Amino acid sequence: MKTVRDMTVGELAAFVADRLANRGIRAVLSGGTCVTIYAEGAYVSEDLDFVPETYAKPADVAAALAEAGFVRDGRIFRHPECSTVVDVRSPPPAVGREPIKEVRELRFPTGVLRIISPTDCVKDRLANYYYFGDRACAEQACLVAAATEVDLSEVERWSLQEGQGALFEEVRRRLLDADGRRRRKSDTDG
Amino acid sequence: MLEPLLGSRDAEKALIYLHCMDEGYAREMARSLGSTFSAMQRQLERLEVAGVIYGRLVGRTRLYRFNPRYPFLAELKALLAKALTFYPEGERQVLLMSRRRPRMAGKPL
Repeated sequence: MKTVRDMTVGELAAFVADRLANRGIRAVLSGGTCVTIYAEGAYVSEDLDFVPETYAKPADVAAALAEAGFVRDGRIFRHPECSTVVDVRSPPPAVGREPIKEVRELRFPTGVLRIISPTDCVKDRLANYYYFGDRACAEQACLVAAATEVDLSEVERWSLQEGQGALFEEVRRRLLDADGRRRRKSDTDG
Repeated sequence: MLEPLLGSRDAEKALIYLHCMDEGYAREMARSLGSTFSAMQRQLERLEVAGVIYGRLVGRTRLYRFNPRYPFLAELKALLAKALTFYPEGERQVLLMSRRRPRMAGKPL
């Protein structure tokens, strides 16, 4: 197996997820690294944000990550061979007021990575835009929509449910443009 | 009121304070609520790790607010609002009537 230093971000995430799973912690990858994976490197995150499906004892989390070579540093975990840090957040996996809709399993040579779907990834990024005014996250949502299929009608439904219809209107055109670029590229390639 | 649920009187105080004041920092909250700084800080850190609140640095002060991404926020606020109606009148007034509007620098309190 590759060393941690040589792993891609997906491989590293799967490696960590595998160690957590070995300790009975079923965790889902959320946050900016999902953008890195779905948008195939168009955005680079160095945080692996895992959310366990149910409560996990901090000692079990620390033991699982220690097996992967990560050491606690405050509330995050660091590895001596790479700059990527791991944060294991409090459950449940959610986007705004709703549970995440779909978990995908991506297989890597290092293990199986459970990750939120591209549609939930777009919602997750938009939540930071809606609630914290983080425009970079709105751009990341567009990167995902430009790279992989996203259910934009579901994103709109969720945005309205969150009471964020006005802000959704501000990004709707960019999301549709991104989706259009993806479709045209798909037609050209296919 | 909610101590049996939350497991801590200081956690309840912190949440009630944020419910009434929208934001606060540990020292101010401890002083207003008759708690100690270390106890309030500990509860704020615990609630932040749990995703219930979030903190951001303003100068050298960590200012806390409810995390708008917390999935049970609406329900939590409804519970806090209900709990507040059971608070003694004096305590409730102190929480609800504390000054929030700005005051010009140098003006006497």
